[in-house]
Amino acid sequence: MADTTVRKRTFAPWMGLLLTVLGALSNGLPFTGFPAAPVPWISLLLSLIGSVVVLFGLWQAFGQPTVYKGKLSSALATGFSLLFLAGTIFSFWSARHIPRESATAPQVGQRVPDFTLPDSTGHSVSLTQLFSGSASKEPPKALLLVFYRGYW
Amino acid sequence: MPVAISVDAVEVSENLRHKRGYSFPFLCDPKAEVIRRYQLLHPRGGPDGTDISRPAEFLIDRSGTVRWENFTEDIRVRPRAEELLAASRSIR
Repeated sequence: MADTTVRKRTFAPWMGLLLTVLGALSNGLPFTGFPAAPVPWISLLLSLIGSVVVLFGLWQAFGQPTVYKGKLSSALATGFSLLFLAGTIFSFWSARHIPRESATAPQVGQRVPDFTLPDSTGHSVSLTQLFSGSASKEPPKALLLVFYRGYW
Repeated sequence: MPVAISVDAVEVSENLRHKRGYSFPFLCDPKAEVIRRYQLLHPRGGPDGTDISRPAEFLIDRSGTVRWENFTEDIRVRPRAEELLAASRSIR
């Protein structure tokens, strides 16, 4: 059988790479105002779909070399997409690697302990003082204590 | 009124508050004493293996009672404003 057929180039590895890159980039979606809750799953799902597409491309290039060409390019695309996949999986893991809600943390219906801490101008303020308001401000009906990780 | 609390030093907190244009107070707990007392410590969670606070939000009324709270499972996922607003409407 004469090998004169023109071998097709497979684009699957590059499509897959694109998907894993989009998966990694989607971590930035919360900064655009997109609802944050689904983002970790969108990011993971895009990367996993991308990986399947990459594997399909690899199978085309290496499993059916008479039909498809592009072994080197598909290997390259696979390498890059592996890097992005690893990054996405690591960020997924590390973003959720926080202590679970402690059973001894204040619960709804419980009173929180009072405390005194310096504010960002260096003046000590207590929870009680924050509730009492100031000369210019009416006392607040409620406070939203926002504990954040810092190092922003 | 929101009150932000973290392990950041006074200057770092003031810098952040100023940069974002926030007028509410930022409280500084570099030794994580209050964070510990609230059982919110994330040991070695900071960039240099320092102890920091896990993200958490508490809506408290004037008696100091928690009316709503939020503990995220993922630092990328922030609380939903609708939930917080619904809870705050019940406080008078």
